[in-house]
Amino acid sequence: MDRTSSFEDQLGALLPQLRRFAHALSWDAADADDLVQATLERALRSKRQWQPGTRLDSWTYRIMRNLWIDTARSRSRKAKLEAPATEAELVGEDPRGAMDAAIDLKRMMTAMQKLPDEQREVVALILIEGFGYREVCEMLDLPMGTVSSRLVRGRTRLLALVGEQ
Amino acid sequence: MTVPDEKFFAWLDGELPAAEAAAVEAEVAKSPALTRAAEQHRALRGRLRAAFDTVVAQPVPQSLRQPAEVIDFGAAKRVRDHRRWGSPAQWAAIAATLIIGVFIGTMTAAPGSGPVEVRGGHLYAASALSGALDNELASASVTGPVRIGMTFRDRSGSICRTFTDPQSSGLACRDGPDWKLRGLFAVPEGQGGTYRMAGGMDPNLAALVDSAIAGEPLDAAQERAAMSKGWK
Repeated sequence: MDRTSSFEDQLGALLPQLRRFAHALSWDAADADDLVQATLERALRSKRQWQPGTRLDSWTYRIMRNLWIDTARSRSRKAKLEAPATEAELVGEDPRGAMDAAIDLKRMMTAMQKLPDEQREVVALILIEGFGYREVCEMLDLPMGTVSSRLVRGRTRLLALVGEQ
Repeated sequence: MTVPDEKFFAWLDGELPAAEAAAVEAEVAKSPALTRAAEQHRALRGRLRAAFDTVVAQPVPQSLRQPAEVIDFGAAKRVRDHRRWGSPAQWAAIAATLIIGVFIGTMTAAPGSGPVEVRGGHLYAASALSGALDNELASASVTGPVRIGMTFRDRSGSICRTFTDPQSSGLACRDGPDWKLRGLFAVPEGQGGTYRMAGGMDPNLAALVDSAIAGEPLDAAQERAAMSKGWK
């Protein structure tokens, strides 16, 4: 029973960073928290498949990433519907004016949405979540060359989108 | 650039061994373009972290502190066995009435291509579904449309597995070399592909599992062992 409660406690302790990762993947805060919710449900249901002694954070991030991939179709539909408003918003803002990090969040989320899914997840895991390249290769079952080239393309595009002037 | 992009960024991210890092650093110091790129990308990373760290600083919404309808099968079954509410047969009967005939019709429409086929009056998994049931571990990442949920033995000792694809979820149990379907439930209209549906198990499926399961679900090691023995 101790192990059970510690799994749940550990998962609870990951909540703030799981929300951060979800925000990096998602269109808006509501989508992000839906994704976190789904991830928690799945993680709790699958807890016997987690091997104690291995990293719970990587395991849970992987669940979240898989759930997120599952929803790719509805996401691209939504992005198409909402894209025009977002373009207008981006054009209208002075990037240097948006120094306040909280204001910058919406802007960064919008820019992340413009990356292809496979670049966005790598940028989120390495640049935002701070995982090492090797950890991300294992988490995503990808070779190093693929991860590093996606990271190059993703961050270069992102800089072009939000870059300082 | 005199340094390949991948190497430049690996240096910037602290991923290079010391000797290589020193070499890249020297190249960057010589090149105003690289120096500028390094500054811009450091600033970008700092800005990304600062922006997304505001999420960490926010209070976690109460709804996430109490995940809704999480089903711990082991615990749920212990409670049920203890209190003896409802008979398994009753649960199965309720669940079985909810399998939708029309839906099955669409799933089997094109012989040889649907995820389900009918043989001798029984439904069996076919194509991508049987492939996933044979080869996917619940703990592994998924490449196809079908995701495996949990694996367990039923009261007769057969291996059973739950699965989800974008249109349906269900339970299949080993029948010789095949996977015989015990239940198949359509994803409710309008819910396909939403995060919530992807995460939550259909309550009908949950009831069916509860009526079929003997003991605890298999853990990752047991699941792998069962797969290596051909799910016998």
